[in-house]
Amino acid sequence: MSLLKLKLKPGEPIFDQIVFAATKAFVSGEYASGQAFPSVRTLAAELRIHPNTAQKIIQHLIREGFLEALPGVGTVVSDLPAAPPGNRRKLLKDQVTALVVEALRIGASSSEVHSAIDETWQDLSPIEEIQRETLAKNR
Amino acid sequence: MAAGSAFALVGANGAGKTTTIKLLMNILQPDRGSATIFGVDSRRLSPRELAKIGYVSENQKLPSALTLNEYLAYLRPFYPTWDKDLERTVLKLFRLPADRKISQLSHGNRMKAALSCALCYHPQLLVLDEPFNGLDPLIRDEFMDGILRQADQMTVFISTHDLADIETFATDIAFLNEGQLLFQESMESLMGRFRSICITLDDDATPINAPPHWLNIRRSGSVVAFTHSRFKNDDLAEELAAMGVVYRHLDVESVNLRTVFTSSARAAVEMAQGDCK
Repeated sequence: MSLLKLKLKPGEPIFDQIVFAATKAFVSGEYASGQAFPSVRTLAAELRIHPNTAQKIIQHLIREGFLEALPGVGTVVSDLPAAPPGNRRKLLKDQVTALVVEALRIGASSSEVHSAIDETWQDLSPIEEIQRETLAKNR
Repeated sequence: MAAGSAFALVGANGAGKTTTIKLLMNILQPDRGSATIFGVDSRRLSPRELAKIGYVSENQKLPSALTLNEYLAYLRPFYPTWDKDLERTVLKLFRLPADRKISQLSHGNRMKAALSCALCYHPQLLVLDEPFNGLDPLIRDEFMDGILRQADQMTVFISTHDLADIETFATDIAFLNEGQLLFQESMESLMGRFRSICITLDDDATPINAPPHWLNIRRSGSVVAFTHSRFKNDDLAEELAAMGVVYRHLDVESVNLRTVFTSSARAAVEMAQGDCK
């Protein structure tokens, strides 16, 4: 449950930080499909944020398709929503551009960047195969 | 202030935060203007409204000869909404020695005792005047946890000069500078519009005619750094192009609440000086 142990960094919007940490937890399988997601109250208490903010975060994750609100049960994790291909390409391009700019700035070589990507990829995707299958099915 | 929000009134010591709160609580009378709580003028607050307001101040006077238990027993009859189960929960959460005389409590315990007295009747409005002053981090966390447990049932109005304390908690924020309200807006929109910008120009001779919403501008040769106070993600390139600024490199970073306040305060001072000229 590393999401609830998240150390909020001052300066960056709380909302973005927590949504990012949650997204990371979904794609890495830390929160698997069908698993219960912390309630507004738990999220607020553990992260020491206002319940209004916690509520907004959960609503956002529901809208994005990561979570599903089941009446009488609570909020549970959905199957990973598949991004439309166009959206995916654009998102990747923006992020990769930012990464390459940063790499050039600090003078890192292309192979250094590649191995850093591979390493993080390994860390974050214990269920990589399952994900690939899901994506293939949704395509 | 919107009902249900956590509203932080921020400003340096002497900015007028405590005065504002005392006006709201009818401890002071306004020379001009008025303050309204629950739709009632603060000068006409009756016991009925006051029973819905919790007030905790760093200089709170508590009856030092009583134990906390005795004091709670004294308070209970005044509040129709007093919740004895909640009282037990809060005392346990705060680890308060309720059978000891209030005069023997440490400052941290006294502040927690004052907060307990305010939380037990489910106030619709909790007013906190510099509550974190002189609290060690552990007690501060406990204090915050106590407020957060009930934050979805009340409006919180909190004054502080310590920004780190409220950065993750406040939903709305107002900045008081020498008696003047510099801004008041939601945390989301405030943090969204401030960015630290660093531009590397093509040459170091281009003059920059900066608009007033660029704050705290520093320039050294071809590098210009400033705090943008009206940032929108897609507009900066356009803004720079319209100004005829040609640059080689552009860095945009989010800022912390502290930077928002220091740059706003500095800009306010500069503007006041500009007016005098």
